Amino acid sequence: MAIDLNFNDEQQLIENTAREFFAKRSPPELARKYENSEEEFPRDLWREMADLGWLGMNFPAEYDGLDCTFLDVFGIYVEMGRTLAPVPLLDAVALGGALVARLGTDAQKRALLPRIAAGDALVTLAFMEADGLYGAEGVTLPAKKAGDGYSLSGVKLLVPYVKSAERLVVAARTGGTSGEAGVSLFLVDPNGAGVSAERTKNMGGYPLYAVTFDGAPGELLGPADEAWEALNDVMLQAAVLQSAMVVGAGERVLDISTGYAKERVQFGQPIGKHQAVQYLCTDIAIEGQLTRLLALQAAWKIDAGRPFQREASLAKAQASKAAAAMTFAAHEVHAGIGFMIDYDLQLYTLRGKHWEYNLGDQRHHLELVARQTEEVVPAWA
Amino acid sequence: MVDFCPDDTPELQAWRREVRGFLDENWPRGKVFDYDYDEDESRWAEATEFWRKVGQKGWVALTWSKDYYGLGRPPIEKWILQEEFCFHGAPCYPVIGLAVANAILRLGTPEQRLKHLKGIAEATTWWGEGYTEPGAGSDLASLTTRAHRDGDHWVINGQKTLGTAAHHCKWMVVLARTDPQSVKHNGISMFMVPLDTPGIQMLPLHNMADGQQNQTFFENVRVPADCLLGDEGQAWNQVWFGLGGEKLDSALPTPDLHEWRVIRMLNEVIRYCRETRRGGAPIADDPIVRHKLGELVVGVEALKLMSYEAYAVAAKGAGGRGAARTYLHQGYYKELWPHLAQTYMEIVGPLAQIQGGRWARLQGEAERYFRASFGNHAGGTSQLKRMVLATRGLGLPR
Repeated sequence: MAIDLNFNDEQQLIENTAREFFAKRSPPELARKYENSEEEFPRDLWREMADLGWLGMNFPAEYDGLDCTFLDVFGIYVEMGRTLAPVPLLDAVALGGALVARLGTDAQKRALLPRIAAGDALVTLAFMEADGLYGAEGVTLPAKKAGDGYSLSGVKLLVPYVKSAERLVVAARTGGTSGEAGVSLFLVDPNGAGVSAERTKNMGGYPLYAVTFDGAPGELLGPADEAWEALNDVMLQAAVLQSAMVVGAGERVLDISTGYAKERVQFGQPIGKHQAVQYLCTDIAIEGQLTRLLALQAAWKIDAGRPFQREASLAKAQASKAAAAMTFAAHEVHAGIGFMIDYDLQLYTLRGKHWEYNLGDQRHHLELVARQTEEVVPAWA
Repeated sequence: MVDFCPDDTPELQAWRREVRGFLDENWPRGKVFDYDYDEDESRWAEATEFWRKVGQKGWVALTWSKDYYGLGRPPIEKWILQEEFCFHGAPCYPVIGLAVANAILRLGTPEQRLKHLKGIAEATTWWGEGYTEPGAGSDLASLTTRAHRDGDHWVINGQKTLGTAAHHCKWMVVLARTDPQSVKHNGISMFMVPLDTPGIQMLPLHNMADGQQNQTFFENVRVPADCLLGDEGQAWNQVWFGLGGEKLDSALPTPDLHEWRVIRMLNEVIRYCRETRRGGAPIADDPIVRHKLGELVVGVEALKLMSYEAYAVAAKGAGGRGAARTYLHQGYYKELWPHLAQTYMEIVGPLAQIQGGRWARLQGEAERYFRASFGNHAGGTSQLKRMVLATRGLGLPR
């Protein structure tokens, strides 16, 4: 079977398990409860996910991972998106953990990956700076040689789960001024000397921080000056999983919207009978379907060992657009009730805005698509 | 297992090379012929010659049974052939013969198959479409053309309209009501009508994209009983739905050459933007143009993947959900196409309106494409597709 868009049996089983798990253990009420929470995320849920083996799935087996593919974990991200599960899988595993797995020395990997997989440690990425850019030009924070190591000074924004993190992976500049050359990554202890973090209240109630480094000691992760390629790959791969989360959330938003449109009666009939309302619902369905197909294609390219960067940007450009468009259409369907904080739709709308920006918004990825497209070719080419 | 690669064996890769070689020999890469927007006799003749060569190879009927002029090849070979045709820029098979063949293969008697499939397989007989009526467009089931039985014949009376390129055709498939008491979808039958039968009169309608559609009048048109395709009164379920609800041709869906023209056109736009300088820099450097092109690439890539998914779903023999997906796919295409055309005009700018001569940009290709994009309603409007998606797919009330 050559053209196939279905998961294999194992992947389907993982998705089914994840759907049941998050529906039962992490309904949207949990996301609501963890908005702006001091605790940052539910430890018991995280522990259960560790017990299911989900935290180390993409890590190498020698570091307590399962050597799984992106398509293997795709369904977990879809299902996390569906219920807005407030857990740091994307941040701590697909980004922080994946960077350690890709660039770390044996000692660094041994120190961190098994503990991430077991649910005992978080490593998250500190990338964003005041310009709000996701390209290499956005990395300006200087890291200077200091004795055997490096010393970092500057500010990183939108850094997730800092209070719970054991290490931050900090993107810094060891050379050049704005290009890809000169970007290095450092492991920094967020509780160590020279680091202070200030939680920044945000739309989705996420644990996001402004982190100030003031001569903080950093341990090099990967090659000095030449970390951009790996960092960019990992961020693009994570962007595909973020897109999968948009797919799941979009399906839920569609269900909520069509459910409401069938029940809500005005002018003596369900509003879903009005074509204007039907159109809005089909907008959600269409945006979701586009996102699903493009994200699936990108995951397939990653797993097949083919160049995936352009396809990842296609997926995230669409996912970012969809995150905004689907929730907008859902609010148009719902009108007053959707505006109420007790109604679940707003949870999707406000988190959707974070997902839209996270790892590059539509504008960012469309530029990458434009840069990498000479012509449209068959999917396999 | 998720896989987007159709040719995973040396045999299939060799097949792709064979198709590619044939195309390189028989159709200039990128030469445009759109049967629905072209009335130039010499271009029609070139396209006809090309399709006859395809027919001689047996490739029109590639997947049909060997009992009926086919080669009995597996559907994946048809997919690969269509992919190559699309990316080469080969012309679509004119009008709706392939859809008719699909219906005949599924529903026809052995005699009907032997009689009609040869002309379609060899591309010697073009078939036209006799569905739409002045009062029955999107609401096709309100059609009023009638047919009644008279001995060994059926007698057809009524009027069809907007029949694309019907004047090039020898035969027409005609939907007519055979049960005068019936309403809506019931009581409609499908007839295969030779267009030289007495009582048929055709008048031209010219569309805004240089194509000819036609009005066809039927006045006591007597056709033999064996012109009925499928069961009397069951056309809606058996035939029309078969044509509208599935992609054309037998076996499994493949890239639709008509639909995938958006890929060819987008590639043209990208090339134009890279090669053309404006205000001292390539148009492709303009950030607004890059954003718009990026959006179109995302849309066209996703549309392309919808075809891959259609194949995958059909290959698994999936039903219900697949149907809703089909309407989403068609509706999306019908909106993407004019969006691409509008954006193309925007990018090319004021000189895009010049239709030919030394001052025209791209020999007027953008404006031709723009005019053609108003033909996106053929086969049902995007509104109709969305309505069906909403009601049948999303379960909203009708």
